[in-house]
Amino acid sequence: MSQSTGKVLFEMKGIGKTFPGVKALEGVNLTVREGQVHALLGENGAGKSTLIKILSGAYTKDEGQIFLEGKPVEIRNPQDAEAFGISTIYQEFNLARNLTVAENIFLGHLPRKGLSIDWAHVKQRSREILDMLGVTFSVDTPTSSLSVAEQQLVEIAKSLNRKTRLLIMDEPSAVLSEKDLEKLYEVVRSLQARGIGIIYITHRMKEIFLLADEVTVLKDGRYVDTRSIANVTMDELVKLMIGRELKDVYPKRDPAPGDMLLEVKNVSRSKLVHDVSFNLRAGEIVGFAGITGSGRTELVRSIFGADPYSGEMRIAGKPYKPHSPADAIKHGIALVTEDRKAQGLLLKLNVTINTTISGLKQLSRYGVIQLAKELVLVKKFIQELRIKTPGPEFIVVNMSGGNQQKVVLARWLSIGTRIFIMDEPTRGIDIGSKSEIYQIMDDLTKQGVGIIMISSELPEVLGMSDRIMVMREGTIVKELSRAEASEETVMNYAVGSQSGANLAHA
Amino acid sequence: MSAVVSKVTKRRSGVLDILRGSPIMGPFLALIAASIFFATQSDKFLTGANLSLIIQQVIVVGALAIGQTLVILTGGIDLSNGMIMALSSVLMTGFAVTSGLNPILAILAGLLVGIIFGVLNGALITSIGLPPFIVTLGTFNIAYALVRIYTTSTITNLPPAQLFLGNTFSIGGTEITYGSVLLLILYAITWYVLRSTPAGRAVYAVGDNPEAARLAGINTKRVLTGVYTVAAITYGIAGLLLVSRTGVGDPQAGQTGNLDSITAVVLGGTSLLGGRGQILGTLIGALIVGVFRNGLQLMGVGSIYQVLITGILVIVAVSIDYLSHRGK
Ligand SMILES: Nc1ncnc2c1ncn2[C@@H]1O[C@H](COP(=O)(O)OP(=O)(O)OP(=O)(O)O)[C@@H](O)[C@H]1O
Ligand SMILES: [Mg+2]
Repeated sequence: MSQSTGKVLFEMKGIGKTFPGVKALEGVNLTVREGQVHALLGENGAGKSTLIKILSGAYTKDEGQIFLEGKPVEIRNPQDAEAFGISTIYQEFNLARNLTVAENIFLGHLPRKGLSIDWAHVKQRSREILDMLGVTFSVDTPTSSLSVAEQQLVEIAKSLNRKTRLLIMDEPSAVLSEKDLEKLYEVVRSLQARGIGIIYITHRMKEIFLLADEVTVLKDGRYVDTRSIANVTMDELVKLMIGRELKDVYPKRDPAPGDMLLEVKNVSRSKLVHDVSFNLRAGEIVGFAGITGSGRTELVRSIFGADPYSGEMRIAGKPYKPHSPADAIKHGIALVTEDRKAQGLLLKLNVTINTTISGLKQLSRYGVIQLAKELVLVKKFIQELRIKTPGPEFIVVNMSGGNQQKVVLARWLSIGTRIFIMDEPTRGIDIGSKSEIYQIMDDLTKQGVGIIMISSELPEVLGMSDRIMVMREGTIVKELSRAEASEETVMNYAVGSQSGANLAHA
Repeated sequence: MSAVVSKVTKRRSGVLDILRGSPIMGPFLALIAASIFFATQSDKFLTGANLSLIIQQVIVVGALAIGQTLVILTGGIDLSNGMIMALSSVLMTGFAVTSGLNPILAILAGLLVGIIFGVLNGALITSIGLPPFIVTLGTFNIAYALVRIYTTSTITNLPPAQLFLGNTFSIGGTEITYGSVLLLILYAITWYVLRSTPAGRAVYAVGDNPEAARLAGINTKRVLTGVYTVAAITYGIAGLLLVSRTGVGDPQAGQTGNLDSITAVVLGGTSLLGGRGQILGTLIGALIVGVFRNGLQLMGVGSIYQVLITGILVIVAVSIDYLSHRGK
């Protein structure tokens, strides 16, 4: 039933790649067929992104061979890859934010008519592609005003404008909220129907069974196996990937709410947040659900003192008026930001500096950092969170996405926080590590920490939260208890659909 | 739950990889190579007296470059440093000679005026959010004008207390000035502070990503103001070193101090983008410039060619930095 029989498009054989100090890939094979969705699966740092960057010409391989329809080819740079019909959608988009949708779709390939650019053709062709994708926004929209999901569609449109035969997508769903996922799946299936081969990287296991025909698993840079989806179960895949069985992803929560930690009253922030009130007790996990743009991130940034706000807040009963993140940290609040690259990490600095930057006071004596003590602390977190790095001196920009996220978590775990705000805490994290992070969250609450978790992954919200706040258009539209909440109810309140309104009356 | 750490491989360690390993390795090798080259070209080059002369020649730029390194590490640039130095040195000598102030108090007064300029730079950059390039270009001109308003003629007959740093002691027959010892101490302190104190870490963090640094709890404005102020202290000390070396208060001094110090910083492997670099690299960078100037002089190459070669060196250094960090 699955597409493991179509014509072979690309084949990678015995691929090896070494970075200074890191053997990222060794003897990896991958075969992608026409009209096939081939999932690439593996833990954080397994080498997935490195492998596809070799196909897309961003990196060059050290060993192995690549074949296009059986003929050996060399991909030395992105231009080569494009000539072979390979397009890539990286997790960080490459859109020029000041240009319009149409301009982006044709970026670098603007057609000429005489001396001038043939704008009529650009717009018409862009419209055609967008229609094909079932997209309704105008081709004249500036890209900067699009949502993340829409920008992703522009990226896909861009690749369709070239003669793409192989589309590589590196964690395309990580940046999307539940509402936009269906659209993505639809587009992937329609591309597949047009005979395009697709390499799809994801940490959401469910997606693999929804979309993929075949799956290849990598572990520690080595090839593990390729399976047809028809002949593999979720448990088997997890075992191939992390080398052991994973019983329950979510820990059994046994919430015992303690003293009041944080009270938020009528907090507003210009047009983004209106009149939000809620509270958080020690030992609680309060989940925030909502679609992108519902104001969740803006709300927690205000609580963390990163942005101005109006309204009232109290911590353990005492008035709390943060003027800066430093203020918030002094009050025992931590914020894991949703965008780890722009707002979380010091990318060009090493693991040690990134881990301890917020807790240097505790590590210092007479104003001097106790370097030996610092090193012990960092090594402890590298081990506990299983951060994959050659050592504490490694520069974080060279780490895999999921491992970067773990460094951010380590930073806040290392400073003894009372109120832990996590904005998309497991974005880009593999399933094994996810369950470990959930376990850590559970342990923290047992020590009296209160956690505010924003997540666009509904199973995560439902699996971890004791209470769920659903936000829409800048305000909390509904509070649900763990027992009341289901994916449907949460989604309905989040998008404010008719059925949501009906449910509210029921 | 074994820790999964990638196998460390020793293969494929090309030249660029070594540079990546330690950022000051490249500058260090360049300094050694240049020294060997000049030693083969002139017997005088490696003599104690000549080496001591090279140190004397780089001492002022070396001090200016300490502050410049701090500023560049935060992602900024300081065009005003040479002029702050000139203003400090003219005032400290002028107050002592013309106004008859106690020489030590005069030195402190000169340093203080420098510090005020540092605070001004920092305040304009952090409170209004102006680009450092523009702010320091402005204060460069203000300081220049103040120097000229104060005096247009060279201040001479300085009291001995202001020339102390030019005095020497002898090790194995080579005369070493107290000024060069002071410079080395300043480098050692800066190295220690950058490596081992929260403030030093904050400098790198702000230079790498100011928003991420702020969200990690760093008061970025305070860090920046602090850096421009501390930098100005090193410019004032550079002024004192200048005075002790030339024996006069010179209103013409310092005009190329900004470019010379930036050259030393860049040759030392510090990235102009901020967040990456080493203070010891700057010391090496300053020595590279000194060695080239001195060596070429010994070879009888005209001074304008020395400038030409320094220019080429800078471009090579920046290219290496760029190439070795590309593709991320
Ligand atoms: N430019 C680089 N320099 C040095 N090491 C690198 C570089 N790029 C990747 N690596 C290393 O190669 C290994 C594989 O990284 P890669 O990004 O391919 O992992 P991944 O499977 O995509 O992980 P994730 O699921 O976390 O995104 C990691 O150990 C990483 O640190
Ligand atoms: Mg990846």
